[in-house]
Parts: sequence; C-alpha cells; structure tokens
Amino acid sequence: MIGALRRVSDRLLGRGEAALTVPPLDGAWKPNNRLEEAAAGHGASAPMALVLQDGRPLWAEGARVMSAAGEIRIEPGVVTAMALSPAGVLAVGSDGIAIGGERPAALAGLRCITALAWDAEGALWIAIGSELHGFAERSRDFLEQRRAGKLLRWADGQLSTVAEKLGFPWGLMPRDGGMVVAESWCKRLIWIDKSGQRRVLAEDLPGYPAGLAATPSGGAWLALFAPRSPLLELVLREPKYRREMMAEVPPDYWIAPALSSGRSFLEPMQGGALKQMGILKPWAPSRSAGLVAEFNAAWTPLQSLHSRAGGRRHGVTALAEAEGSLWLAVTGGDEVLRISVREEAR
Amino acid sequence: MAQAGTLTRLRYRFIPDHLIGEILSKKWIDNAIPFTVLVLVILVFGALLPNFWTGGNLSMTARQLGEFALVCLAMTIVIIVGGIDLSVGSNFALGNFLALAFLNLAGWPLWVAVPAVVLICGSVGLINGVLIGYLRLRAFLTTLVTLIIVRAVVDMLLLKYAQAMSLSFYDNPWWDLMGMGNLLGLPFSFALLVVVAVVGHVLMTRSRPGWRMMAIGGSRRSAHNIGLPVKGLVCAAYTISGMLCGLAGVLYAARLSGAGSDTGIGMEIMALTAAVLGGNSLGGGRGSIVKAMIGAVIVLVMTNGVLRLGLNSGSGQMVLGLTLMAAVFIDVRWLKNRDKLLNKVYVSPTLIELPKPRVAGEGEFALNDRLGEVEIIGLGAVESPEDVILDEEDHLYCGTRHGDILRFFAPDYSRHEVFAHIGGSPLGMSFDKDRNLVVCVGGMGLYQITPERVVSRLTDETNRSALSVVDDSRLRLADDCDITPDGKIWFSEATVRYEMHDWPVDALESRGNGRIVCYDPATGKTRTMARGLIFPNGICTTQDGQSILFAESWACRIRRLWTHGPKAGQIETVLDRLPGYPDNINRASDGSYWCAIMGMRTPALDVALRNPGFRRRMSRRIAPDQWLYPNLNIGCVIRFNERGEVLETLWDQGAKNHPMITSMREHKGWLYLGGITNNRIGRVRLPGADPTWTGFGDYWGKGA
Repeated sequence: MIGALRRVSDRLLGRGEAALTVPPLDGAWKPNNRLEEAAAGHGASAPMALVLQDGRPLWAEGARVMSAAGEIRIEPGVVTAMALSPAGVLAVGSDGIAIGGERPAALAGLRCITALAWDAEGALWIAIGSELHGFAERSRDFLEQRRAGKLLRWADGQLSTVAEKLGFPWGLMPRDGGMVVAESWCKRLIWIDKSGQRRVLAEDLPGYPAGLAATPSGGAWLALFAPRSPLLELVLREPKYRREMMAEVPPDYWIAPALSSGRSFLEPMQGGALKQMGILKPWAPSRSAGLVAEFNAAWTPLQSLHSRAGGRRHGVTALAEAEGSLWLAVTGGDEVLRISVREEAR
Repeated sequence: MAQAGTLTRLRYRFIPDHLIGEILSKKWIDNAIPFTVLVLVILVFGALLPNFWTGGNLSMTARQLGEFALVCLAMTIVIIVGGIDLSVGSNFALGNFLALAFLNLAGWPLWVAVPAVVLICGSVGLINGVLIGYLRLRAFLTTLVTLIIVRAVVDMLLLKYAQAMSLSFYDNPWWDLMGMGNLLGLPFSFALLVVVAVVGHVLMTRSRPGWRMMAIGGSRRSAHNIGLPVKGLVCAAYTISGMLCGLAGVLYAARLSGAGSDTGIGMEIMALTAAVLGGNSLGGGRGSIVKAMIGAVIVLVMTNGVLRLGLNSGSGQMVLGLTLMAAVFIDVRWLKNRDKLLNKVYVSPTLIELPKPRVAGEGEFALNDRLGEVEIIGLGAVESPEDVILDEEDHLYCGTRHGDILRFFAPDYSRHEVFAHIGGSPLGMSFDKDRNLVVCVGGMGLYQITPERVVSRLTDETNRSALSVVDDSRLRLADDCDITPDGKIWFSEATVRYEMHDWPVDALESRGNGRIVCYDPATGKTRTMARGLIFPNGICTTQDGQSILFAESWACRIRRLWTHGPKAGQIETVLDRLPGYPDNINRASDGSYWCAIMGMRTPALDVALRNPGFRRRMSRRIAPDQWLYPNLNIGCVIRFNERGEVLETLWDQGAKNHPMITSMREHKGWLYLGGITNNRIGRVRLPGADPTWTGFGDYWGKGA
C-alpha cells in the first residue's frame, strides 16, 4: 500500500524511480578523448560483429565478412554477429546462422541475431535482440520498451531456449560455466547459466551496452553503443509523445539512442548542443557517443575510452582484445580501430 | 500529419495557464493566505451568529473596526521599519482620557481638543522614537517601559478626574457625528479609517519615505550604508504610530464617552496579532497597509464572534492564539515555497500546430554549400554579432554581447575599434536619414548613436496593455528595427515574458508573447502596434515604404504589417510553412528580401509542439541543456519576394563557420553574415548582384 502510494507520488513529483537522472560519468568513467585521438584504423562501412582470428580482425560490412585484406565471404543477409570457437569454427549470424560454412535448418529461421558465443562445452549461444522487430528496427523496439529478447543454446544439433523476456541482449561472453549478457534496454549486465538462472553483475550503466569481450586478467571489455540522457528517460515515460513520433517521424530522426549523429539538420537537437562561439562543447548532450569500458573480474569499472559529442568515433558495437591491443568495430564512425591499452594502464 | 483533438485545442485556447505564473509573480499574492483566512472567518462566524449580517451589527462592527484598525496601522508602521510598539494600548487609553478631559472638563472646543490629543499622543511616540531611533535602545524594552509609564499616568489621572468627568457631559453635533453619525452612509470612524488607510497605502507604496521605511526594515545596516536617514525615519515611524493611537482614542471617546482603567488593556497583543495574521513580517521590511487591514478585520470578527457565541472567558484568547499559530505556520511555508512554486509553474507551453513545412533540401531549398567558402571577419574579436550593418563608406558595424558597437574598417575589415558602448545586448540595427545608428538593445530598449558617437536612449517603454497581469510597459527584448520613410522607427519585441537569454524558454512556450512597437521621433511617443505575435524577430520596411515585413520565428512564417495606406494596421501572411525559424529580414539589391533562417524544424520537435503537456514536463523535469531545441547547428539564408516566393537558398551545411545565422546584409555585391552565438562575421560574394547597391542608398537615396 505504502509502496503504491510512494510510486504515485514519485511519478507526480519526478522522484525515486520516476527521476530522470542518469548516472554521472565519474571515477573510471571520467570522459577522455582516447577513442577520438587513437590512430586511424581500417576504413569500413558501418563495421559490426568483430572477431579476432590469429590476432587479425574479421568484421562484417552489411552482408560481407571482411578482413584487412579484403572480402572473405558473402552471407544472405546483413551480418550482425560472429563468433570464433577455440577450435577455429566461425559462426556467422545474419538471416539464420552459418556454422563453419554450413547452415543448420533449425537455425535458419532466426532473425535479429545480436550476438553469438561458444562456451567451454562447445555449444553455441545465440542472443536474439527482439522477437518482434528486426535488428534495423531496434529503435522501435527500444521506444516501445519491449522485453522481447531471447537467449538460445545450440548443442549437439539441439536448439534450446535458455532465457526469455530480455531487454535486447546485445553482447555475450562465456564466464563461469554460463554467459554474461549485455541487456541493452535494461542498461545492465547479467549472468545466465544454461539452466536459466540469472544474476545481475552490473546495473544502471551510463550507456546502452552492446558487445562484450574478455580481458586476459579475467575481466571484460564492454562497448556502450550510445549514451543515456535525461531526454531519453523522459521520452520513455511519455507514451503519447512516443506513439505520435513513431507514427509520423522517419526513424532516423527519432529521439532514440543512435550509432552516429549530426549528419542531418532534421535530427533532434538538445539545448546544450548549440555551437557557441564556433565550438560544440564536448559535454553537450548527444544522441551518440563512443564509449568503451574495462571491468575487472568483480565487475568494477577500471578504465574507459571515449569519443565525445561532436566526435567521429561514435557507436562502438563490437570489440576484442589480443596481445595488449583492443580492436573495435566503430559502427557509427565507419572504422575498425586498434588501440594499445595495456602499456597505458601501467 | 496528426492533429490535436478539439478538446485539447479548446483547452489551450481558453485556459490561460501562463497567467498563473504571472499572478504568482505579483507582490500582492503574499496576501492570498491572509485573505483566504479572512473570508473563512467571516463565513464561519456569519453562519454561526444569527444576526451577523444585519445592518445594525455590521455598522457596529465597522465602528469598532475604525478604532481598532487605526491601532493596527500604528503597530504595522513600526513593524515595517523593523521595530515593535507595545505602548499602543496605553497610548490609546491616554488619548481616550485626554479627549474626554479636554472637552468635558476643560471645555476646549472640538477643533482644538482633537489636534491637541493627537499631538500629545504623538509626543509619546516621539519619545519612543528618540529613544529607539537616535539613542538606539531596544524597541521591545523601550516601548514596554512606555507602556507601563503611560498606563500609570492614565491610572493616576483617572483617579483624580474620573468622578468629575462622569458628571459632566459634552454636547456638540460634531462630537455626536464622530461617535454615532455616518459620513456618506459609512460610520464616521470607518470612513476616517478608509481615508487614513488609502493615504497610508499610497505613502508606503508610492512615496520616497514609504520606500525608505521598507528598506530600513529590510536591512537597517544596508539602508544606513546607502545613505538613508535611518534614525530620523525610525523616529518618525514611532511618532506616526503615537498619533494614530491618539486618533483611535478620540474616536473611542466619541463613541463611548467613558474612561475606565480597563480601556486599551491587552490592545497591544490584539494589534500585534492582527499585524502578524495579516502577513506583516515581524522582522520588518515586508508588510503593507492592506495586510494590517486584513489582520484587523480577522481579529475583530473573531474576538467579537467568540464573545457573542457565549463561550466562557478566555476562549476568545484561545481561538485567537490558535488562529495566529496556524496563520504564522502557513505563512512561513508559503513564503519559503512561493518561489519554488513560481519556478515550477511560470513556464507554460501552449499548443502550436504548425502546418507541414516545405521540404528543406528540395526545389528552392536545394542544398548547397554556398556559405561554406566565406571570408571571415573579426574571428575572436567579436562575440555575438546578432546583426551587422554597413555605412556609405563601407565600414561594418556590429553589436557584441559586451554591450559594444564595433566598427570594422573598410576595405579589408582587418582593423576594428569600439565605435560606442551602450551596455545590454545590442541586437538589430538600422541607419536613419541623418546617419544615426538606431540599435535595439536586449534588456534596455531602443537606442541611437549619432555619427559623433553620442549614445542616447530613444525609448524603453511603451503603453501598458489594458488587460495584462504583469506590467508589460517596460521593453524587455527589443529585437530588430527598421525605419519607414516618414522617420518612424518600427521594432519588434520578441517576448514580454522572458529576458533575452531565456529565449529558448520562449521557444518552448511558443505562445504569442511578442509585439511590434512603433517609436515616433517627431513626437517622442511609443505605441504598441500589434501584439500576441509568436516571437516577432526580423523587421524590414518594404520597398514601397507602405508596410513592414516581420518574421514570426516560432511560427515559421513571415508576415506583413501595413503601416500606411488604406490597409494600415492590418496583418497578412506573406510566406509561411518555412522549413526553419526565420530571423532578421533585410532588403536585397533586386527588390527582393534576404531572411536568415536561424535553425531548422526537426520532425521530433514538431510532434512536441503539438504536445504542450510533454513540453511542460520537459521544462520541469530536465535541465535546459537537455531540452529539445530546433536544430540550430546549421547555417541557412533565403531570398524571397513580396509575393511569398522563395527565390534561392544559401546553406552552410556543416555549420563550420556559421551555425545559427541571425542576420545578413547585402552591400556592394557581398552578403555579410552575423550570428548571435558566433564569434565571427562572414562575407560571401553574390555573383550577379549589383556591385554598387548599398542599403543606405536604397533607403535614403544616394548621398542623402
């Protein structure tokens, strides 16, 4: 009873759960320009789904799987996820999944495949962002506040459902006999084992999490594809406005997390982003940003790399570390980057 | 495009949300709580007492009020200067006794006796005043002492003269009039009170001594530091207080013709209660005559009412005490939270349904980068050149946010000087026939700079609108001006509700808060010519001089106001459905007009404009930096004609040099660009434009 009253008064006054505050970028999240100032990488058109094969990156550009040397193969649909098993078997998710070049019939109907990962038992875990919308329509899924994501496991020719009603799982990483899942719309990381048991590892992240990758020290890298903002939180609490916006406005110009921004004058702009005296302030509210963070094994953030408002390297969706270098698929910035992260960390 | 419902439309059309904030920002709203209590008290006792509303009772109450409220005023004036006067009760008793003694025993005529009483009681106040004002004794202790001494004096006099006084009787029609008669249908004492209160109110709110007393009560030290005669004014307040007590005593004597030892006992407590109940701050500096009157009525009605309800003695005081406690509690909370409430409700977005825009990027709005290759002038030397203008010698003038008018020297504009300093934020500019530079200054009004650099104010106020809650006569945001051939200066005031730097809040409201004002140098008169306009911004006299074009920014349209001829005063739309927000308008060399587009409409914002509730919650819940704005990081200038056809569009797509262009001026084949958020001026060559055309020549003839 008191809880219900509290919720009503919170909603009325904008307190508690109804508060529109977003976590500050503080401590290990303190903004810097390390992503923005990194040396130029491979140019690529909206690269996604990055994996490392013998220390060399493979990534996807649309339906094509690319390496630094050029195109490797073409899939029937837009490639949104890839995973390389310890034995070197490459799984590629587009419209359906190709495993080592074969396309099992049981996996052919899968859509919106956001992440793939192999576990220690040789099974392939499959994250489905949303059962209702395709990957390209994720903004609609976000604005409708869907929890329509799914986690599947493919082992010995059997496909089983591990978890349902996830808020757009976008990153997978094997850990402790289960999977760490980046649940993007919920702004958190959870751990799920194959029986479906869950545990929250990190919550209230300052951005919308996407790709995950292991570090040598037992921690993890996390790509956050877009920053949170009070305006987004407000819009999520305004059903009528959202409904009308989705009905009338082209999706590119919605108030929604984006992989890149500033390309059209039809995009919504927030007050702080007005150029003053010829300068766009780096703290300006932005629909997109580049943000990558390292966590230790206890899920405490250790360091972060940023590309701030007005920068180019926005919308990192996939990443992997090898030999002290972090490889990043900067989807919004059309680049595959390599950044040395270990000597800087001392 | 979806439409807002009829109900929503009616609601935003007929419920003026913005008035709530404006009413809350008025000073008299402080009286809201005491006034509500007053109404409640009257209603409650009116219902409880059977004959409350009868003429006899009302007249009796009014007569009593005449005396009591004078004492309350006496108390209030002293409280306002930061003191307290406990001696009002005994001073009142002294006045009562003296009036009777002078008339009954000494046999003085009325016209001598009454002023004498007032003066004697005033001298008691003067003693208080000298002790407290000049000798800096504590008000509480000093007046407590006067209370005791004056009471003792009255008691001693009573002992000696009471018997003699009760035997004699003073018979005079004037004296009867004062006690029992009516003046213009009002009981005499009440009529007198009205006169005193009106005079007092005018003195306190509209005269120098009144303001100074307020200032002293607010902070005695600060008042002293700015050179106010603190001692004299404090002394005067106590003297006035004493005189008012004397007057009340005379009225009491006229009504009851009796002096007893209980006259005026406890009156200081009642008067104090009334003053505080009315909302006068005990700390001083915040109070008014009206508050004292409200408090007096409450206290009188309650004490009389409790008495007549037949409750046992003491319960009257009890009710009074409890009411006082409640009033003080509510008053404190109200004072503390009033500003918070005002902040929350002042911004009141309204419904604005813009028609579907013409498509930016197509047809006459085809994208290009013609403003990409600008020559930069004054990079880093200017900040916020909202408008730019050139004179006949090709020198370039612009305002800055520091309140300067800068002049860049032709031909290369690499050198500059401060042409004049005005202050405020100089915005739109025009040259008049005599080469005076007329400048709209945000926050200040309309100013003029002669070629000899003499700055003078042309006007900073216009006629107040008849039905506005707040005083809108002062110009808050004069934005752009132009001059018609007859020399009249027409200028826009973008909004009357916000200061210059709060323009985004006005955009959020999108209400018709702006107006167009005309200043006539011949008569020196300023008149509002059109109001209810949605952020009127740029102003430009048409080529024939019969009308002015003005941009209504948040409505994305350009309209025409006829200034001369048969249609004078009428407004018609010239160009609407713009894809962006128009700013300044200026003439082009071929008879058409340039218009700066400060930013673009974004589809997400268009939806928000139709949802005032969403915008209201946005304004309350998130910081202004996070608000949804128009997309202003784009540079755009259009050229259009009087038929409403857009002829060409110049873009700076990357907004590398010119985001948010607010002004442009054509001069000898170049187009000069200014922007209020920019730190540079740009110029770009206009191929095919008349290389000899100047704005000044176009307006006033070559070599005029």
